[in-house]
Amino acid sequence: MGRRIETALMSVLLLGIITLAFLQIVLRNVFSYSLIWADDLIRLAVLWLAVVGALAASREGRHIAIGIVPRYFPRAWHKPAALVASGFATVVSAMLAWQAFRFVADSYRFGDTVLGDLPAWAFQLVMPVGFALIAWQFLAGTVRTLRQRA
Amino acid sequence: MTLLVAIALVAIILLGAPLFAAIGASAMLGFGREGTDLSIVPIEFYGIAETSVLLAIPLFTFAGFLLSKGNAPRRLVRLSEAALGWLPGGLAIVSLAACALFTAFTGASGVTIIALGAVLFPALVASGYSDKFSLGLITTSGSLGLLFAPSLPLILYGIIAEVAIDDLFLAGIIPGTLMVVLLAVYSYWRNRGRTASKRRVSMAELKAAVVDARYELPLAPIVLGGIYSGFFAVSEAAAVTAVYVIGTEFLLRREISLRDLPEIVRESMILVGAIFMILGLSLASTSYMIDIEVPQRLFELVSRYVASEGGFLVGLLLFLLVVGAILDIFSAIVLVVPLIVPVAIEFGIHPVHLGIVFLAAMELGYMTPPVGLNLFISSYRFERDIAEVYSATLPFLLVLLVCVLLIAFLPQLSLFLLS
Repeated sequence: MGRRIETALMSVLLLGIITLAFLQIVLRNVFSYSLIWADDLIRLAVLWLAVVGALAASREGRHIAIGIVPRYFPRAWHKPAALVASGFATVVSAMLAWQAFRFVADSYRFGDTVLGDLPAWAFQLVMPVGFALIAWQFLAGTVRTLRQRA
Repeated sequence: MTLLVAIALVAIILLGAPLFAAIGASAMLGFGREGTDLSIVPIEFYGIAETSVLLAIPLFTFAGFLLSKGNAPRRLVRLSEAALGWLPGGLAIVSLAACALFTAFTGASGVTIIALGAVLFPALVASGYSDKFSLGLITTSGSLGLLFAPSLPLILYGIIAEVAIDDLFLAGIIPGTLMVVLLAVYSYWRNRGRTASKRRVSMAELKAAVVDARYELPLAPIVLGGIYSGFFAVSEAAAVTAVYVIGTEFLLRREISLRDLPEIVRESMILVGAIFMILGLSLASTSYMIDIEVPQRLFELVSRYVASEGGFLVGLLLFLLVVGAILDIFSAIVLVVPLIVPVAIEFGIHPVHLGIVFLAAMELGYMTPPVGLNLFISSYRFERDIAEVYSATLPFLLVLLVCVLLIAFLPQLSLFLLS
């Protein structure tokens, strides 16, 4: 379920970005005109795409890592190493989510705006929510490892 | 204290923790000790939404993945074979050229070995190249094109070092070609005498191959011509490329069903998400390092031991070879580049030249044991023992090492086309 939502969201974001960016080029070159909000919106969509992509990478264990232990060490090491690694990732992601939440709360309090007069917090919310879901994925991974027989 | 934290973070990385977590932790620990409010970390991460050119990364990655799903790899091989197959050592050269082009477009993410290796490896073995040579060649070719536009590492370096990306695209042409040519010469030399069939040029086949690749061929002039002529900004070229590839693959070729689109998006955006995660957090860790004046201290430290530009380059190369062997290219760019660019400039090294040297040295890293990415992909894709891949790749690694030295000590190779 979560996987399908991610995929759908990424598809909509990516195709939206492509359409909008292409439209801007056509408008600029053919009609010497440009949508003033489009570039800002594209940049925000790229941020969203990045966070949702990172969430998808967490679900599939595809983040960039240089694990020497899981590759070269004897099997007995694998489970404890995986526990420490994913436990650490869980804690760090959760802290990032909390700090991102504070950032968005400030932005809400100060009434920051984007794209003219839209509330910035609504667009920034992807960071705390995304990091929290990433933490959740790593937590689920930690629990899965814990239940595995070594 | 700092040392203990650093050791703990390295240990946790070696245990297999994702790199972004270690980078995020180091940024939070650093700022925390300074008493800075930790919401600086997400604020820096938000910088992703304030950098226009980053748009090019998801768009080129998606276009590259989409191309690799259809029959574009097969057509590219056919065309290179028709055009270059008559040369002595033909098929090896075909492999090098096709892989370099393909890697430039797919962003050196390891797709090349999977997409082209499947076609080229059996073909090389069938035409009489030894198994070991073919394995080494394909493994090496997997990252060969990363100095050619529009490869992701070039774009990322430009963003991080704040260098014009079009300049980097120009600067990479001669060094990138040098790598292909030296590897081709080596391939010819190693197979002299027993080179497989020296075929003659068939104009009919060449024409057929060109017609077959009629939709893919315009990509080069669209992307490169558009950028080099200044008609498109890099992110605009990326958008045009994405639209063009979607149009040709789904409307004209119809080799990929629209139903596969979401999975291709997912596949490619996982890579983008992983890169942006370390990029966003390294924006924070870098801003901490600049706060505590790491580049200045680094420069003072280095200049105590090194006096000349040449000496600095030697030290830099040694350092980069180590970095390249442990870090993947994207992490290396976001973590190392912000620290070495100011130091290199002090030593009189042009930041564009530095970029080419950096990426060329990282290219070696893809093939350097123990963790070079290409070695794993190759071992996995061709079902070989990793040690066998190490030894097959070693001679190619040495050839590329010579290239890297030439690129480092002859800055004109990189800077000639700029002026």
